[in-house]
Amino acid sequence: MRIIHRLLALLALLVFAFGASAQTPQATPPPPATPHSGAFPKPAEQTLPNGLRVIVIERRESPLVSAQLLVKNGGEADPAELAGLADMTGSLLTKGTQSRDATKIAQEVESLGGSLNSGARWDSSYAQVSVMSTKIPQAMEILADVVRRPTFKSEEVERLRQQYLDNLTLALGDPGSIARFVAARVVFGESPYGHPLSGTTESLTRIAAADIAKMHSRYYRPDNAILVIGGDIAAKDGFALATKYFGDWSKPTAPLPSVDAAANNAAPKAGRVVVIDKPDAGQAAVYLARLGINRRDPDYFRGIVTNSVLSGYSGRLNQEIRIKRGLSYGAGSQLDARRDVGPFVASAQTKNESGAQVAELLLGEIARLSSSPPADAELTPRKAVLIGNFSRNLETVNGLVAQVATLALYGLSLDEINRYINNVQATTTADVQKFAGTRLDAKTSNIIIVGNARLFLPELQKKYPNVEVIPVSELDLNTALLRKKQQQ
Amino acid sequence: MARISTRLIPHVILVAFLLTLFALTGFAQTRMPQLKYTDRTLANGLRVLAAPDSSSPTVAIQVWYHVGSKDDPEKRSGFAHLFEHIMFKSTKNMKSEMMDRLTEDVGGFNNAFTNDDVTVYFEVVPSNYLETLIWAEADRLSGLNVDDANFKSERDVVKEEYRQGVLAPPYGRFFYMLQEKSFVDHPYKRPTIGSIEDLDAASLQDVQEFHSTYYRPDNATLVVVGDFDPKQLDVWIDKYFGPIPKPNRPLPRVKTKEPERKSETRFTEYGSNDLPAVGLTYLTPRQADPDSDVLRVADAILSAGESSRLYHSLIYTQQLAAEADSTSETREDASLFVLLAVLSAGKKSEDAEKSLLAEIKKLQDAPVSAAELEKAKNQIITDQLRQRETSNGKALALGEAAVLLGDPARVNTDLARLQAVTAADVQRVMKKYFTDANRMVLYYLPESAKQAKQMGEVRR
Repeated sequence: MRIIHRLLALLALLVFAFGASAQTPQATPPPPATPHSGAFPKPAEQTLPNGLRVIVIERRESPLVSAQLLVKNGGEADPAELAGLADMTGSLLTKGTQSRDATKIAQEVESLGGSLNSGARWDSSYAQVSVMSTKIPQAMEILADVVRRPTFKSEEVERLRQQYLDNLTLALGDPGSIARFVAARVVFGESPYGHPLSGTTESLTRIAAADIAKMHSRYYRPDNAILVIGGDIAAKDGFALATKYFGDWSKPTAPLPSVDAAANNAAPKAGRVVVIDKPDAGQAAVYLARLGINRRDPDYFRGIVTNSVLSGYSGRLNQEIRIKRGLSYGAGSQLDARRDVGPFVASAQTKNESGAQVAELLLGEIARLSSSPPADAELTPRKAVLIGNFSRNLETVNGLVAQVATLALYGLSLDEINRYINNVQATTTADVQKFAGTRLDAKTSNIIIVGNARLFLPELQKKYPNVEVIPVSELDLNTALLRKKQQQ
Repeated sequence: MARISTRLIPHVILVAFLLTLFALTGFAQTRMPQLKYTDRTLANGLRVLAAPDSSSPTVAIQVWYHVGSKDDPEKRSGFAHLFEHIMFKSTKNMKSEMMDRLTEDVGGFNNAFTNDDVTVYFEVVPSNYLETLIWAEADRLSGLNVDDANFKSERDVVKEEYRQGVLAPPYGRFFYMLQEKSFVDHPYKRPTIGSIEDLDAASLQDVQEFHSTYYRPDNATLVVVGDFDPKQLDVWIDKYFGPIPKPNRPLPRVKTKEPERKSETRFTEYGSNDLPAVGLTYLTPRQADPDSDVLRVADAILSAGESSRLYHSLIYTQQLAAEADSTSETREDASLFVLLAVLSAGKKSEDAEKSLLAEIKKLQDAPVSAAELEKAKNQIITDQLRQRETSNGKALALGEAAVLLGDPARVNTDLARLQAVTAADVQRVMKKYFTDANRMVLYYLPESAKQAKQMGEVRR
């Protein structure tokens, strides 16, 4: 972890009350010493003539290098009927190029001791290779090959389709996964973030090899991509490798496809209470979900500090649900800021009998952020958690590359890494109260519970007579209604 | 999967680490930083391993207690792990959750995990808090002060952990039973998470007895890696840990030996899974046995990455399985080599079993090529490098070498052991351990298959 001096100096002032009133050396904890300082690495960048933005971050402690090629569109670009197209396209990159078949790609990369992953997320698609630093030239050549010259052979498309269908079957056996799928549909309806990233049974069956090739040619182009290289490599060597393997990647003459940033503004009706009845569920997954913020929102830091008050081991959700009441192994929340407004989700898994109680506790804690906002004594440690997690994330090469890639993807200054701590520290109790009250209003949130409904539905219905109950066998992830149409 | 239980849901890096925790190996041709450490033992028996590294202003502190779920008291399966949770409640001088105040609240973190053989507590904090954490770890070794309300509430948390790990995921019970059915006599037959019934039977009195039996300085190893002054560290350790007495009573150790398997055993169980799963386990030697290194290489050949044999055969070529995996699950007294497959839709469990057996036979019949052997070694080495990127990862490697392999030096010398593994070694261990008589087979089928079968029986 690299925590810079200012942070530690500030935290050092927080000498524990019990430390200050020490009676004997054994009965109370000794206070902290003077903090030591550290620094984050500074990214260097260049844009190649074809428009490819290249970023190199040197970090020489471990002999490892990671390189990530990021395409600035992902699952949000899936056509409505073809959910999973971007993810399948991304996954197929490593399943065959003009000069290598799938087996050869895996063998070559793994012989280097490396790993090569590709796929799509929301807002981006990626191929990432991670190897010992001595092997990075060979690895970069393979990375460029899979990104630029994939063949999408039909036998590979069929193979991957079956794997996606099997994985979906596995996910639909797990209450937590079902709840995540349902939460996305409830929050985003039929707008771009509403579908499962890896598709539905129906959409996966529809995706054709031609759709995949079209997705690739439309979005995978140097002027819509970013290459981030991090770890045990000099910046000049990183730029040289980028030029060698990506410099002759030609930019198409067609204009870049535009992203419909307003697509999510037509948000569906909020305040739904949805139960997916899975009678054999060993536990209930309880989710509270609503619209959150986008990554460029001026309230971003106020948002993540607010979320940190709720989430993490000693966050309010886990305090109330796990520590005080023993109702779950863990409760937490995520504010997932994307290019467009992303979701805010608070969740916990609990025994089926406690499903309704845990839903009330989640809602209660969101509301309590406004009615009883965290004073400094509570807020300062929650900021420290956020800063500590951020700093530790930058401690590994993969974490460093991922952080920088995210900033680059959303067009944010790479120097935000070095402003992160100040931005977090500047957030006040009033900021949290305002953010919670205006952006996380509990009344416009949705509740989703997946579990054995018999054991929690009566209690839930007392408070929410409008609850929608959908047997898992009738669940349809293709529509915001979530229910299969009745057969005629 | 079911064998390690942690206080909190671990983040991804930790999961990746735990999967390879018992598979330490060395490093090939690339530059590999040696871990320089000091090793001393206090008069009360506490072993201290320390490795200074000021590349970042943080420090990792770990205490390894040589007690795991194999030491769970009779009819108290899951107790060692429940106890691990209790160690975060009131101790001699700390109130409940104070460990979180000393770590999380200052930008650090803490966690702990229990497996069959050890219980490990760890913290990473800004380095100026090192003395505070040395004090805190010494305090909870000195004594617990838990009340019944705290005990019961934390026991409920562990029961939810059981539900979340075993009952809720579609293959949770499958992994649980793979271990349960793999041992006959040895307490390893009780998975670390235990059972709801035994957890319900546990009492506050059990907690005090367990602490006084196993939580003693001569059963603990303190590991400190990161930004510190070694002389200052020694002073703090002597000050806070030094006065803790070494009890006179002997340390109980599990003596039960798992008998050799004489013939194949087969089980069929049913669950809420939609796709059938098949698991095979073979009994293999204790972790410190030299064959463990060879089995680690065999494991990588079988299942590391998409060029591995199981992936290539069962998933890619035959399209028989949605998942296919192997693990060399090493343990202190006796180990398991596990192979498993989750079937693709419409495929037969029997075919998956046949294919897994065919891959074993191939490794028995012909030596692996030099290139395939080298690839497996490179994969293991890169995994290890990633593990050791952080102070906490380095400390885990050092603790494992000292406590489970019996020699901290193995954190650096396992490279040579790995490099020495030959194709002939791989073929030899495949022939030696992967026999028909040494096999347990578990079919885990959807409940609907059972109903279909029963209806068929009625008709007959």
